Amino acid sequence: MKLRRQGDAREFEVELLAQNRQDQPDQGDGDGRRAVRITIDGREVAATVAAMPDGTAIVDLGGRRVRVTGARRRSSIVAAAGPFAAEFIVVEGRTAHRVGGLAAPEVDAPMPGKVLKVLVAEGQAVEHGDPLIVLEAMKMETTLYAESPAIVAKICVVAGQMVDHGARLIELSPAAIPAKPPESPPQDD
Amino acid sequence: MRRGSINKLLIANRGEIALRIIRSARQLGIATVAVYSNADADAAHVAAADQARLIGPPEAGQSYLNIAAIIEAAHATGADAIHPGYGFLSERPEFARAVDEAGMIFVGPPADVMAALGDKVAARRLAAGAGVAVVPGLETVEEHAAEQFAARVGFPLMVKAAAGGGGRGMRLVEAQAGLTEALAAAAREAKAAFGDGRVFLEKYLAHPRHVEVQVLADQHGGVVALGERDCSIQRRNQKIIEESPAPGLDDGLRTRMVEAALKVARVAGYRNAGTMEFLVDGGEFYFLEANTRLQVEHPVTEMRFGCDLVAEQLRVAMGERVGEPAAPRGAAIECRIYAEDAEHNFRPATGDALYLNLPAGPGVRIDTHLMTGARVTAFYDGLLGKLICWGADREQARIRMAAALGEFSLLGITNTAAFLRDVIASEAFREARLSTRFLERFFPRWSPGDEALESLLVAAAMVAGGALGSARSVSPGSSSSLGARNDGGRSERGGRSPWAELASFEPWGRGER
Repeated sequence: MKLRRQGDAREFEVELLAQNRQDQPDQGDGDGRRAVRITIDGREVAATVAAMPDGTAIVDLGGRRVRVTGARRRSSIVAAAGPFAAEFIVVEGRTAHRVGGLAAPEVDAPMPGKVLKVLVAEGQAVEHGDPLIVLEAMKMETTLYAESPAIVAKICVVAGQMVDHGARLIELSPAAIPAKPPESPPQDD
Repeated sequence: MRRGSINKLLIANRGEIALRIIRSARQLGIATVAVYSNADADAAHVAAADQARLIGPPEAGQSYLNIAAIIEAAHATGADAIHPGYGFLSERPEFARAVDEAGMIFVGPPADVMAALGDKVAARRLAAGAGVAVVPGLETVEEHAAEQFAARVGFPLMVKAAAGGGGRGMRLVEAQAGLTEALAAAAREAKAAFGDGRVFLEKYLAHPRHVEVQVLADQHGGVVALGERDCSIQRRNQKIIEESPAPGLDDGLRTRMVEAALKVARVAGYRNAGTMEFLVDGGEFYFLEANTRLQVEHPVTEMRFGCDLVAEQLRVAMGERVGEPAAPRGAAIECRIYAEDAEHNFRPATGDALYLNLPAGPGVRIDTHLMTGARVTAFYDGLLGKLICWGADREQARIRMAAALGEFSLLGITNTAAFLRDVIASEAFREARLSTRFLERFFPRWSPGDEALESLLVAAAMVAGGALGSARSVSPGSSSSLGARNDGGRSERGGRSPWAELASFEPWGRGER
């Protein structure tokens, strides 16, 4: 499964290969401990997992013990490892990214708020770092910038509109190729 | 200002501070009334109060900022006093006035004092008039005058909202080119946030520390100071880590600053709890502004002085006199945990709390309204809770904080706990290399370490594979902290007794009432 952390361009390929209660008899003292094998970007990680009565699990990663929790939320996965919590978007099945040097074919709201200003027009060419849209959330203005050269294919919102976290704001197409909006992938949130 | 006993207190606020106030009121035998918006019907403060009244829709402007609806709720429930908490209406003189005119006690300063001090421009004048140094500044939005001022004191400059607070309506201007736009943007933000677009310019100090003095004043002319707090660690000009005492502060400077704070409070005719904020640069300090309310970071002072500032506020509001504070002991640190993404410019996050584990242990206090199932929306400030740790010295408080942050776990809402733990555990924080540019300087681009990311990906893979994902809640602090790696550093404590300070410790204000 291919995961992308909310707000992070990197993608991680993770897979739960096996979970076995029996293959580690010396660990098994009947407390629900089991061995799991996971690959992260092809690298195998072995862990021992003890399920806790509150639904969390204590994961032992080579002597490093961490309490983890997680849940599916619509098209994403939320997870926490100790104090570190994040949301992963399940990328698998989505329109392929990085078409023609495009960092991402769409600009989504990184937070819920109000669209204050739309600074570009459909068909307009933008350079890496050009401001696209200004959002206001919690009385703070946040400007979203182009992450690569692109053509503004579609503007999905108008100034003054309230948007949810993950809402599609702008669709981009590769700069060198004539504007053609990519297939609209499912909403992140 | 009205006085007399308070029998029923309405809390015109939400979140952790509403809960905090309800607790102190209850301990004083005062009945409590919560108010709430449609978005908060099942919020913790609503459940905690003796009574609760719906005051409007989720938008704060029509609920928590709706003076008429709040006064009406107070009348309807027979409340005889209103505590505004912080934020919302807490620094609106018209609210204090409306409460007074409705025949109720406002737990805070009188409206005119609030107006004089709450306006940053007026407060600067007042402090300067009292002989207290202020940062060189200019009261204008007029472009030509601004340019002249810039030519005189040099860039960078800070544009601030006269009605500002919490970092809103503030803009740093590095060079001439950005001046006009910054003045306009700050005015716009200030207008949106405070309904008052007036801004002013200040010389920007390069690496100042933000140090503030807690004051408490009664209705009989008594004013006391309860030490200082260093609140230098800020993002977006908003504090996220505060501590007391201010580490490494020169004793002479501290004494002069406390005297200056008392002077400003006296000259202003201050009443109730308030805070005088200063910037410390080199060996000098400058008055910055007054906060005419309870501060978010007040627990830091409470932990050191062994007092309950909300209870003191209520007592003072009832006409009691303030007593001389006992000697403070030890050190306290507060971390504010926000629903924000620390990796991406602290942008706000929302979500539902699917699992929550709160830290506990000696010297550990957590003020939060979080509970499993609670929803964090974009309607209100993203403060999830405040973790406060006390220690016999700063290093003990710091180690406790690092451990406590390691125990904190919240699933479903991206939050700053892991970031805060890394900051607390850092050498820069241990060595107290504090300035308001601390985060820019030492944590310009924070991201979780490889181990943290690996643990998180393991969790995500387990969810994806169906091996994890039915987390249920446990009550705060009841869970073990197996997941918490105590990597906050170790100190050589040299056999110093943690009880050494107890000799000078007395319940604050004993014998004065």
